[in-house]
Amino acid sequence: MARMAMLIDASRCMACRGCQVACKQWNDLAGWSYSKTTNRGSYENPRRLSPQTWTRIKFIEYEGPERFQWLFLKEGCMHCGQAACVEVCPTGALKYGPLGIVTFQQELCNGCGYCSQFCPFHIPQLDVANKLTGQAKSSKCTFCQDRTTNELTPACVKTCPAAALFWGERHEMIAKGQERVAVLQTKRGFPNANLYGETELGGLGRLYVLTERPAHYGLPEHPASPVLSRLWQDLIQPLAEASFGVGVLVSIAAFFIARRNIRMEQVE
Amino acid sequence: MNFFLNGPEAGIQIRWIPRYSSLERFLHWGHAFTFLPLTLTGMVLFMPLLAPLARGEAGQFIRLIHRASAVLFVAVPIIYALLEPRRLLQTLRDLKFGKDDLDWVKGAFPYYLLGRHVAMPPQSRFNTGEKLNVVILVTGTVLFAITGAVMWFGRGLIPVELFQACVIIHDLTMIATVNMFIIHFYLAVVHPMMWQSLISMRYGYVSESYAREHHAKWFYGEERAKEMYAAEKAAQAKKEEMV
Amino acid sequence: MTNHWVDLKNADVILLCGSNAAENHPASMTWIHKAMDERGAKLIVVDPRFTRSAAKADLYAPIRSGTDIAFYGGMIKYALDNNLYHKDYVVAYTNAATLINPNYKGPVDLDGLFSGFTPGDDPNFGRYDSATWSYQTDAEGKPLRDETLQNPQCVFQLLKRHYARYDLDTVVKVTGCPKDKLEAVYKLYASTGAPEKTGTILYAMGQTQHTVGSQNVRAIAMVQLLLGNVGRPGGGVNALRGESNVQGSTDMALLAHNVPGYLAIPTASRHPTFKDFIEKETPKSGYLTNMPKFFVSLLKAWWGDHATADNNFAYDYLPKVENAADHYWIALFQAIYAGTIKGLWIMGQNPAVGGPNARFERLALQKLDWLVIQEIVDTETVRFWQAPGVNPADSKTEVFVLPAADAMEKEGSIVTSGRLIQWRPKVAEAPGQALPDHQIFNLIALKLKELYAANPGPFADPIRHLNWDYGANLDIEKVAWEINGYIAQDIKDKDGKVLNKKGDTLNSFGLLQADGTTACGCWIYTGYFYPTDDGEGRTMPAAKRRGQKDPGGLGNYPYWGFAWPANRRIVYNRCSATPDGKPWAEDKKLIWWDDVQKKWVGYDVPDFVATRAPGDAGGKDPFIMKTDGKGWLFGALNEGPLPEHYEPVESPVRNLLSGRQNNPAIKIWKTNQGQAIGDNWGTPDKFPIVATTYRVVEHWQAGGMSRWLEWLTECQPQMFVEMSKELAAEKGIKNGEWVKVRSARGEIEAVAIVTARFKPLIVDGKTIHQVGMPWHFGWGGLATGDSANDLTPHVGDANTAIPEYKAFLVDIRKAV
Repeated sequence: MARMAMLIDASRCMACRGCQVACKQWNDLAGWSYSKTTNRGSYENPRRLSPQTWTRIKFIEYEGPERFQWLFLKEGCMHCGQAACVEVCPTGALKYGPLGIVTFQQELCNGCGYCSQFCPFHIPQLDVANKLTGQAKSSKCTFCQDRTTNELTPACVKTCPAAALFWGERHEMIAKGQERVAVLQTKRGFPNANLYGETELGGLGRLYVLTERPAHYGLPEHPASPVLSRLWQDLIQPLAEASFGVGVLVSIAAFFIARRNIRMEQVE
Repeated sequence: MNFFLNGPEAGIQIRWIPRYSSLERFLHWGHAFTFLPLTLTGMVLFMPLLAPLARGEAGQFIRLIHRASAVLFVAVPIIYALLEPRRLLQTLRDLKFGKDDLDWVKGAFPYYLLGRHVAMPPQSRFNTGEKLNVVILVTGTVLFAITGAVMWFGRGLIPVELFQACVIIHDLTMIATVNMFIIHFYLAVVHPMMWQSLISMRYGYVSESYAREHHAKWFYGEERAKEMYAAEKAAQAKKEEMV
Repeated sequence: MTNHWVDLKNADVILLCGSNAAENHPASMTWIHKAMDERGAKLIVVDPRFTRSAAKADLYAPIRSGTDIAFYGGMIKYALDNNLYHKDYVVAYTNAATLINPNYKGPVDLDGLFSGFTPGDDPNFGRYDSATWSYQTDAEGKPLRDETLQNPQCVFQLLKRHYARYDLDTVVKVTGCPKDKLEAVYKLYASTGAPEKTGTILYAMGQTQHTVGSQNVRAIAMVQLLLGNVGRPGGGVNALRGESNVQGSTDMALLAHNVPGYLAIPTASRHPTFKDFIEKETPKSGYLTNMPKFFVSLLKAWWGDHATADNNFAYDYLPKVENAADHYWIALFQAIYAGTIKGLWIMGQNPAVGGPNARFERLALQKLDWLVIQEIVDTETVRFWQAPGVNPADSKTEVFVLPAADAMEKEGSIVTSGRLIQWRPKVAEAPGQALPDHQIFNLIALKLKELYAANPGPFADPIRHLNWDYGANLDIEKVAWEINGYIAQDIKDKDGKVLNKKGDTLNSFGLLQADGTTACGCWIYTGYFYPTDDGEGRTMPAAKRRGQKDPGGLGNYPYWGFAWPANRRIVYNRCSATPDGKPWAEDKKLIWWDDVQKKWVGYDVPDFVATRAPGDAGGKDPFIMKTDGKGWLFGALNEGPLPEHYEPVESPVRNLLSGRQNNPAIKIWKTNQGQAIGDNWGTPDKFPIVATTYRVVEHWQAGGMSRWLEWLTECQPQMFVEMSKELAAEKGIKNGEWVKVRSARGEIEAVAIVTARFKPLIVDGKTIHQVGMPWHFGWGGLATGDSANDLTPHVGDANTAIPEYKAFLVDIRKAV
């Protein structure tokens, strides 16, 4: 089955939060009773993703050199082709799933929080129930796996009134995004418009059409799997396992050799 | 094993020399018995093979055990230090390394691993291996405590790069200490020659012959031990010449 | 709207002024984006602050709230001076060429007044006699015209003279909009004056909720007429209605001065008899010469067989007010406070939060003897006596709460801003004892009839004879059928043959009669419930259709629902063709004259006599509702025939256009002077900051439908006030901290949002700050906060009395 992707056209998004609420409705997530948000001087709320908020809109006021812009970014799991979270998850709760979705099985999560510390986009958020015991759970966008594996679009895509969200085969979404970037650059006066997510991290499942450079939206310009997670997965784990194995085997062998030698010496 | 379980049999005349105080033994066993659950629970989080055990409620419980054990793991040495500060300082002073230690390492392969009775340089209260063990374990404990505390309490307060670095250091420390533990366990418990070390940690005593052989500098004093070693080496060399 | 939502995709330029479509009508952005992406259309936003709509616009210009007439006046002058207006259209289709009474004088000569003004007790305010604003006519009463537009008394020249004062520099001084931005807006929008281009102006409460609100809309209409945009795809004068069925409610006359179908309401002062009403309210020409047919059919619907020619169709049963204006909102609450009105019946409204001068209005509620309120949640009005800081013992009101079903829990029709009527099924069960409003009325009407039958009293007939045959459990389709219209008596030809049977459904208001043979609850709706084909061979009441064919591809979708009147999607669509009947532009052809078939054909129902050729009498008169068939550039409202800039009642500056500070035709209420609440006016020395109110997408109106919901509350949990960084720096206010906002009528607390989206304006050389607040909040529900309307004034438009919610004065300081 072809890898699917979500194209988010930030130039069309008007931050109506329809997607934020549709996601909660479809996935039975809690709102204010859970997060108890307050207004801290912005329309942006909640102020971060959480196990009860899998997508949200960031509001950024950007005084550009040519014009003032109020940038809106729909934040959520990027469904990386090469996902750091999958690599560091000790339980397998995070896995590469069908259609290119990075799936998450909440029952398996043990709250260790590695995903939240290794994701280059800081997407999975842990909600710690007890700081002392470490009781916690993580959660994130699943690209509405129950819908998308049944030929439907994610709930957010379905609800968007601005026609800013698209769901389809990844190569088609890339083509659509590139087309849109060209229109923005040539006809709408956005020379810095760009498509984000085409090749980064094994290609992202969430593609953005942006009117300004990614840094202005709070996105890393060159996202990469953290060096340390590569180190951990590719070097340290194998090293550890090898060294323990060797150690135990050598010990066993040495036991028999040493015992033999000692007995022989005693005989002597 | 008999001795370990039942102590010295009546009638056998062995002169026992005190080696470890009861608090030192408390420190050792306390540390060992918290290190084990820490290793096992930590392994569940570390090895992908054990992932099924790390899941869900069971996984949360395993993390809880890791944290509870960690608290004790750090508490035990601190309690020891508070209760027996002078002996601790003495022990730390004993952790000097010199040429004899290098020779010991060279001799360790045939002597300990293969069980051949070669001449080993005289050792003080702690032989080279034991000194290395202490150094690695003390350093390890400190590194575990710091990185562990950062990972436990620092999430959200520290940059993610720092958290990631702590995970790596925690891992590397674990590799070093677990390997050290494998060696320690082998030499202290399994090795056919070294059964007295186990008794010493349970009862606090070693036999005179053991002390003389393995910790000559401690038993005889440094000067005398060096003389005896030189004589022994000379005798061995002559023996080899004759053969 | 003269056009409709989907039609926005046909525009070349879209101007949002006094509206925030992305915020409050997000679904409309689909069509606006289509215009931008497929036609290369440009979006202009003119607003006191940079809104979510401005974030999508090609051009944003700031404006001081309450200066829209200056803005449009400047645009009119710009279009005239630079010859950007659509000349052929203006000459043929508007009254630009018509000559005006030589005794007419305007603000140029009378320093801000028009001829015919009589001041009241307060010389600043009074009434106009519109006699001098009339057309010059010939002996037969036909208006005189000069199609060269040169005669100094022709409307075109009067227009030029009137707006000569609205030059760019003056408009910049009044509005505070920087000159380069203003000029860019004018240039871009006036480019739609080209015959092959159209532009659409979308407006909402930002235009209407002012003491000059009606004139604001007039100004928009004039701009659109001058640029040739009315009656054409992608053009029109388009109101973004603020509530999901407010269009339906105004169609059905939930207004003090109308009966259904926007007919005048009979009043005791002007129309004591039926004859008075018919004579005074029927114009001499234009389509509304048919008014008696619509009115009689309405009475017939209400009183059925008891409305006959003998009793003037039960005209005397109709209760009459003295003056419609006494029954507008502000007047009602003044009367409640004064104790004149003892009981109040509210359905689905929350005056405690949504009413102007809300503190005053909440106090008024306490004076009622009884209140009946139909609601879905315990709003601040349902529990007005329990508001924080209120002692319940201060209120002697007996409150009856009738739990109501919400929109999804009942069946019926809803009308969009584009006049599109869509029938909707019930999709959920109402909880507990909640009933649809229509069933609540049904039960009450049946009970009243029962009571009046048992105990008639002196004048029971209006109730006893009221036609009320919808069943114990109201049959909504029966009501719909009555509103649509039906044959009330067999109509026979001269031989006695029955042409139309009693009970037949009508398909056109053209069939309505003034002789009692037809009944119709709302003449503009006739046809909406008539069985009609949906384009796919299925027949059903027109409003239920969901046919997806779109002949012409303009987005009219004539098989989807029913657009009143007569399923016309774009009204005044005769204008979409040249005076000779050919389309102005190929890609905007809507209807055109077919000389072979001898009728108007195309992609919409002609808003014109279908067989009237362009060369016939009236063949170039598209505005069929007007007596002269022309679009009125010059047209009377209570404060004059041409929009003139006046300052809001609370303003930080003097009026730069004339010596008249405020709209002279508004009513200033004089109750409760000296009390801490009521009609106190703020002056710039104490209240130097201009304030406006608005909505956010996350909340709905006074909050009953959103502030009780946790997902929406999470997005927008608290009351806030937005201000510029400069103002915040001046007051030492940090982003996110609590502040107090005070007007002459009250004080509230809100979280400060310090933003670059508000900038100080230079108005007449002074720096003027503006702030803005959402008016959704109240103390009930989950998302709680103080109500912005505690600050707004009790004063309204001269024609409709709509309150001036959008421009008043405040001061701000830190809360601690």
